[in-house]
Amino acid sequence: MGTKPFCDACGKVQPPSPDIDYFAAFGLPRKLNIDLSALERSFYRLSRKLHPDVYAQATQQEQQWSLEQTSLLNDAYRTLKNSIARTEYLLKLEGVVLEAGKSEDGAAKESRVPADLLEEVFELNMQLEEMRMTRKMGEDDPQLRKDLEKAHIDFESQLAASDSNLQDLWTLWGTALDNEDTARKSETKDQMVALLDRRRYIRNLVRDVNEALEA
Amino acid sequence: MAYSDKVIDHYNNPRNVGQLDKSSSEVGTGLVGAPECGDVMRLQIKVNPETQVIEEAKFKTFGCGSAIASSSLATEWVKGKTIEEAMQITNTDIVKELALPPVKIHCSVLAEDAIRAAIGDWKKKNGVTEGAEVAQAVAAN
Repeated sequence: MGTKPFCDACGKVQPPSPDIDYFAAFGLPRKLNIDLSALERSFYRLSRKLHPDVYAQATQQEQQWSLEQTSLLNDAYRTLKNSIARTEYLLKLEGVVLEAGKSEDGAAKESRVPADLLEEVFELNMQLEEMRMTRKMGEDDPQLRKDLEKAHIDFESQLAASDSNLQDLWTLWGTALDNEDTARKSETKDQMVALLDRRRYIRNLVRDVNEALEA
Repeated sequence: MAYSDKVIDHYNNPRNVGQLDKSSSEVGTGLVGAPECGDVMRLQIKVNPETQVIEEAKFKTFGCGSAIASSSLATEWVKGKTIEEAMQITNTDIVKELALPPVKIHCSVLAEDAIRAAIGDWKKKNGVTEGAEVAQAVAAN
């Protein structure tokens, strides 16, 4: 069974291949630098051809397949158009387990979070808590507010920096893929995992700081 | 998803919240985090240098109810245990005690990591190497 949604010979809709990935659904290589407007155009073009409405008069089998193809296409588009979801998806395809927990042999996984980031996250959480408590007592600590506003700017810029670093890693990944450089691929994968971990912490911090400042 | 009564109890009345003097040689500090949910957990132990018994344990956790309950329970459990006994506590014990659902198992993993990190820190401070410990265990048997 091919990865194309239509039969080459008769042009009829086919069931989705069970092992098709979202990149293949769009005929794309497993690279992360994606032309988003081209992706959108492909999405609309394929959607129009695969939509169940087109198959209203077709056999039940074809209706079913068109539904499955459309559903796959929607999931694929939603995942690929988002830079973080796309990166996480690729890492999953490449065998990276992003969820916390124990590895299969039962040994605890090494902490992937750098110690200095943890210290920073912990300290900021302490500050946030202090601010919430001060507020509760009907007071406002101007220094604390200043600190938090500074932290907010700092974390926003870290977030922006991590996005630009991520794009650099996408390019490295693409090159490693083209050169079939396994060592470089695995190195880039690890770097992407570390970056996403860090990014999640920062994103949560930005959210918490925003809440504390708005409360 | 509903939290179990035990989780709610630990969440509402967390045991041993606070901190110990990080610079003391008797104190081991473990700071761990789960990037998936953004939780951070600090667990500290104060160890009697003569008996290696954990006499005091404190924690501070920023995270969900299960993470707070897991670390609260962890401090309760390590208190009164020796370093060796405390190393035997696993996340599965915590999952069972708190009846954590599968989506919250990582909170218990975090608590186990925190215990180990705190013990590791204490060992490092006191020059206890893994090898020496094995020798000690062999001698004890």
